[in-house]
Amino acid sequence: MTVAPEKSARSMRDWPIVFPPPYEGSRIPPRVPTILDVPADLAATDDILQINFGPNHPSTHGVLRLIVDLDGEQVVGLNAVIGYLHTGFEKTMEQKTWWKCVTYPERIDYVGYQNAELVFVLAVEKLLSLEVPEKATWMRTLLCELNRIHSHLVFLGTSALELGAISMFWYCFRERETILDLYEMVTGARMHTRYFQVGGLAEDIPDGFHAECRKFVEWMPHALDDYLALLDRNAIWLERTKGVGVLSAQDAIALGQSGPNLRASGVDWDLRRDQPYLAYDQVDFRVPVYAGGDVYDRYRVRMDEMAESTRIVDQCLRRLERMDGRPWIADDRKVVLPPREELHTSMESLIHHFKIVTEGFRVPEGEIYVAIESPRGESGCYLVSDGGPKPWRVHFRAPSLVALEATATCMSDALVADMIAVVGSLDAVMGDTDR
Amino acid sequence: MADRPDAPKRLRDYGLQSERLLWPTKGPSRFEEELGVENLERALGLTTLEKAVRWAQTKSMWPDTFGLACCAIEMMSIVSSRYDLARFGMEAFRSSPRQADLLIVSGRVAHKMAPPLRQIYDQMLEPKWVIAMGACASSGGMFNNYTILQGVDRIVPVDIYVPFCPPRPEALMDGIIRLHEAHQAGVPPAYERREVAT
Amino acid sequence: MSWAVLPGFVSVREAFGETTVTIERERIRDACTRARDDGFTFLADIVTTDYLGWGDKGVSGYIGTGNIGTGLGIGGGRDLHQPSTQGYQALPAPKPKRFSLSYHLLAMEQPPRRVRLQCWLDEDEPVQSVVSVWPTADWHEREQFDLMGVRFDGHPNLVRLLMPDDWEGHPLRKDYPIGGEPVRFSDAE
Repeated sequence: MTVAPEKSARSMRDWPIVFPPPYEGSRIPPRVPTILDVPADLAATDDILQINFGPNHPSTHGVLRLIVDLDGEQVVGLNAVIGYLHTGFEKTMEQKTWWKCVTYPERIDYVGYQNAELVFVLAVEKLLSLEVPEKATWMRTLLCELNRIHSHLVFLGTSALELGAISMFWYCFRERETILDLYEMVTGARMHTRYFQVGGLAEDIPDGFHAECRKFVEWMPHALDDYLALLDRNAIWLERTKGVGVLSAQDAIALGQSGPNLRASGVDWDLRRDQPYLAYDQVDFRVPVYAGGDVYDRYRVRMDEMAESTRIVDQCLRRLERMDGRPWIADDRKVVLPPREELHTSMESLIHHFKIVTEGFRVPEGEIYVAIESPRGESGCYLVSDGGPKPWRVHFRAPSLVALEATATCMSDALVADMIAVVGSLDAVMGDTDR
Repeated sequence: MADRPDAPKRLRDYGLQSERLLWPTKGPSRFEEELGVENLERALGLTTLEKAVRWAQTKSMWPDTFGLACCAIEMMSIVSSRYDLARFGMEAFRSSPRQADLLIVSGRVAHKMAPPLRQIYDQMLEPKWVIAMGACASSGGMFNNYTILQGVDRIVPVDIYVPFCPPRPEALMDGIIRLHEAHQAGVPPAYERREVAT
Repeated sequence: MSWAVLPGFVSVREAFGETTVTIERERIRDACTRARDDGFTFLADIVTTDYLGWGDKGVSGYIGTGNIGTGLGIGGGRDLHQPSTQGYQALPAPKPKRFSLSYHLLAMEQPPRRVRLQCWLDEDEPVQSVVSVWPTADWHEREQFDLMGVRFDGHPNLVRLLMPDDWEGHPLRKDYPIGGEPVRFSDAE
């Protein structure tokens, strides 16, 4: 893993921006920030070809529609149309009790599903002021970091596939299968695990998980070396990614970018370190920051993050190995189902069980916004409760929506082929964008 | 020579009009002599043209890239090396519906996406099949609201429904194999069977 | 920063570790500009909440107390002295207007500062757009217009974002039905 460039003394004054900008000024389109307008002199000629990268396209990640104006190969106009996967999560979750709601956020960001589930569960727990046992916190950290690796593997595999590096797809998905095996061992499902409950985890960690996870942790750095060997000195890859889709730090912050997109633009900001949640304040990890703001730097940030996530998983494993037999879910019987053995002996447990299963638990009145560092950036959950068994308003802050807002700015001076690289590097998941 | 019940079938039992049958006194042909078999039937595989064509179609049914949501990620994993779809000749996911045989609708279909879906289906050439992958494509799944189509069979005729959310790659593979078996057995594609949405 | 320096400041409230500053609807853009100049350079989210029907149905049943099982006092936060309801319905606090519009801001500092600027509006009351303050507000405001029907004055491209262009109605409002189809043998959920 290469070290990110040295941060200059001057730049430490502007923290979190730690590198000089790749371009001066702002490239955000002046009229509408998210639409690249065809220049007036070009629009008057007959040379502009407007084509539609429709919702069904092999290279747009999911159902994204780009209406692109071309002058030859040069992209001179861009308008992104989304909404083809709008599922009405927010309104649907208003109809379900808090327990049933937990299945929905996973399907929003369906590649970083564990993080999406986490943000909702954290928000409910914060409104409840519920304390989660240590074992659950550490296991959640571990699973979320595995999910980060999973998400970056899918990004790498699909983005490389779109740029022609087809072998990367198979290599990345080989590791992805190992991660999904770990998920299946713990939670019973490969994707959309529904393992996080309000209060902790659904079940205890099974035997044998530590050994399997340890094997994965030992293998993953070799896999990362494989990927670097395939891509990092590949002349075609470098040609297609270096200098393409440049975004300066000022533009990135103005456009609300977060996560790897922001860190590749030279902004040293990571919610895991700066506003820690779960057990991130107790693990040691580095935050990769790169200066160029181009597609290559976004790829490098994600590669480095995979290495760091492996280290975090290792540290979580070491802590969890000493926590056998500890509780995995909070003991608050008003919110969490009592253990089944107790139902035979305790009348109160039986009543609690009945109330929770039929009516659902109640969350005190209030509103809250919780943000975590999902693989895509700052993923947030805004929750309004009226004190009842169902949410009043749920809203998810989608990092992918914001990432796609930056498409027009990144495409200021680019060709059609670069557009594929840029859209891939922004790593937008359409379920997260459209919700 | 009386035909025993377990005797192999003769060419005439197939209703064929071959030179060898119409000219009984003509001895074995040069071809038969070279083969060196007594019964030509033992050395040849006989089938009908339809069956042969169906066999070829099942062994290279190319899907169209129609990944919508979470199921698309599992669909990508059947192309990956563990659940290798190339053993069925299907790893060539065509981007153009003109070149595709099979539409795997993987994911939830919003009302905004329904016209493009129907357009893609119309652009495919017969014979064509549709697999509704996942609960959302089969019936709307866990989303019963203003924006999700409650099952893609409202707008396209579906051959195979694969449940779960999302289906395991093996489950999708099971659906694909059943489609192959159904087609090999002569079950017509859905647009011939169902009167709706052709 | 003292929140009272924001133009249009009405009140500030702290709850669950968060700060919510209520701003007059007409001055929201000025308040946002002042906040951005003070260091809140990152607009995380713009959310509208529809409070139609808020408090119509009381919430009954036991409110919840501290932890019973282990007696260690974990899981508290709810008032032990709140009477459990037998026939008593707890109603949530009433809201001033129908819609609340929240701007979630973040100042990237160590330690980071987060604040929620909130203004209240009724149906058909427009709000000034903050696209000139944070360009990222473009799609957030379009989404709120699309799903809730809040009009943003000064937005350069206020058209629907997520719903089809010819859709009628604003789906996330409380008086808009959930849609879908009736499913046999299941009740409301």
